[in-house]
Amino acid sequence: MAAPPLLDRRLAVVTGKGGVGKSTVAAALALLAARRGKRVLVCEVNAQERIAPLLGARPGGARIREVLPRVHTVNVTPQEALREYGLKVVRFQTIYDAVFENRVVRHFLGIVPGFGELVMLGKILHEARATEAGRPRWDLVVMDAPATGHAVQLLRVPQALLDAFPPGPLRQDAEWMRALLLDPARTGIALVTLPEEIPVNETIELDAEIRSVLGMPRAALLVNAMPPARFDAEEAARLGGMGGAPAPLGPAALAAAMAASRRARADHALARLREAVPLPGAVLPLVPVPRWDREAVEALADPLAAAGGTWL
Amino acid sequence: MTALGSRLGRRRVVVCVGAGGVGKTTVAAAIGLQRALEGGRVLVCTIDPARRLANALGLAALGNVETRVPGHAFTEAGLAPRGELHAMMLDVKRTWDELIGRHAHDPAQRDRILKNRLYRQMSAALAGSQEYMATEKLYELATERDYDLVVLDTPPTAHALDFLDAPDRILDFLGDETTRALLAPALGAGRIGFRLAQLGGGYIAKTLAKFTGAEALADLGDFLRSFHGMYEGFKDRAEAVRTLLSHEDSGFVIVSSPAAAAIDEALAFHERLHAEAIPIAGVVVNRVTPSLWDDARPLPDDAALAASLPAPDRALAGRLAATLAEHQRLASADREAIGRITGPIAAPHAVVPRIEEDVNDLGGLARIAAHL
Repeated sequence: MAAPPLLDRRLAVVTGKGGVGKSTVAAALALLAARRGKRVLVCEVNAQERIAPLLGARPGGARIREVLPRVHTVNVTPQEALREYGLKVVRFQTIYDAVFENRVVRHFLGIVPGFGELVMLGKILHEARATEAGRPRWDLVVMDAPATGHAVQLLRVPQALLDAFPPGPLRQDAEWMRALLLDPARTGIALVTLPEEIPVNETIELDAEIRSVLGMPRAALLVNAMPPARFDAEEAARLGGMGGAPAPLGPAALAAAMAASRRARADHALARLREAVPLPGAVLPLVPVPRWDREAVEALADPLAAAGGTWL
Repeated sequence: MTALGSRLGRRRVVVCVGAGGVGKTTVAAAIGLQRALEGGRVLVCTIDPARRLANALGLAALGNVETRVPGHAFTEAGLAPRGELHAMMLDVKRTWDELIGRHAHDPAQRDRILKNRLYRQMSAALAGSQEYMATEKLYELATERDYDLVVLDTPPTAHALDFLDAPDRILDFLGDETTRALLAPALGAGRIGFRLAQLGGGYIAKTLAKFTGAEALADLGDFLRSFHGMYEGFKDRAEAVRTLLSHEDSGFVIVSSPAAAAIDEALAFHERLHAEAIPIAGVVVNRVTPSLWDDARPLPDDAALAASLPAPDRALAGRLAATLAEHQRLASADREAIGRITGPIAAPHAVVPRIEEDVNDLGGLARIAAHL
């Protein structure tokens, strides 16, 4: 059976190299899902909070909050995730307080390597599968995952736990977490990249790692910030020779030559990427704004919707 | 030479930090190349999982061993170095194993740790492990080898603090008194099993075991016990690393792009380094759109450009006008962004323009180095 479109799954994991626009793409995906009437939760992972500000709201911290109709955001922190997880295990606030608010225990849990990652991932995956009154709490959870290497580390935590831990409650949690992450009916990874050489190299490596190390379903390849094609090769060559001309032609020709070269390199990088990572997806235009805001995110959501096809 | 260049000239250890995607690896390699050209014996060490440094240095593959950049790579780029440039990529797992070998009292202790399944997870895939081993390797390279300069390209951290905090966090775990107290029975006499209930603090340990399972706690106890006696060695070493990083011969270079998120992170780094009294050699703002037009004058419109073209082409003139206007919009946004960094950070800074080529050889690196 073919996997459902990305926005019809429970969990969309957005990742890619640092600086490629993961958060803006995650926000655009959330906007799009909300436009289709879905209730969406966007999770950041212990980050400098960006999603809520991108959507025009103040940073909301570790509590889930509705920032736009049907769009909710949360910045998942280890402290808050541990509190929720701990309460689930011990059930009674008083016992929780006695044990988890114990200075010694807090210290202990704070330093157990990987524990913070586990509870944060657990919180996000828990939201993705939670139900209320017989229906899913969220139609879609969008996870704005950390950059490449850190994302692999985070998403590998359940497997690492299964490798390292003997049977016990933690292992049971790791089991369902891994099952959810590997299920193409419920989970899909969206790889975000730029049409530039180094990000493309890293995306090709990340894709290989997702297949070999994580085994998670890849759903889409999103190429961000594609520069516009304003000049053909013949014009670019002609303008390239005019850079030394007096103003206004010289500076304009220089700007044009730079733009043309950038586009040519982007075309080249994109072709290489498509050959190495044959996934459905979209090429999103470069949005020339100094600071990202909701309007700019909308400017991404439109071409995303237009390019959607069957995968989105 | 720029102010940053002369600041860097005296350092023996340079650590490049910054957000992901700002060109940190390239800047680290350019700093190393510059000193090698001037006559230094230089090593550039990267932890980057994407193996980018190898591309830029023209090395087919970069491994855990120090490799000298071959002479022909310089000749092909028209460069004549007076010194040597070496490069390597950190292997986190191997560095851990070496560290254990260094501190273990005997081969039996070493093997017991290397075989422990918690250790194997921790050394290979643990958050913070990369950062810890990066500083560890840096210390070894800076103190036990004969380089004039070691440049460290740091892993992209989720948080500015990770790089400085990870070693302490992992060391705390390995040597922590409270951990030992909690796991006392396992540390003293093997498996915890049913003895958890008999503990003075049994209530807490029992609830914890609800989380992890009693067996997992016991495993953890075994793991920590196998480290017995090694902790002091680790701790001393970590302090020596800290001393090295705080020494005046060392310097951090904060790398940023003009992107708002990258600058926020650069400022956070600066604040933290400053608070820890760690020397900051300078700031590099990379990928800056250069201004091509004097902004005091209005931008040219279609008509003005059409008139200046050798052959009249109104459509082309329109596209030229739009391109120049867009370019200048980005240039002025970048200028503003640079101001956000140079305002609060007093250390010398260098601005590297966005170059419309891929840096995949020493020539490209040298062109970047020229701006430092």
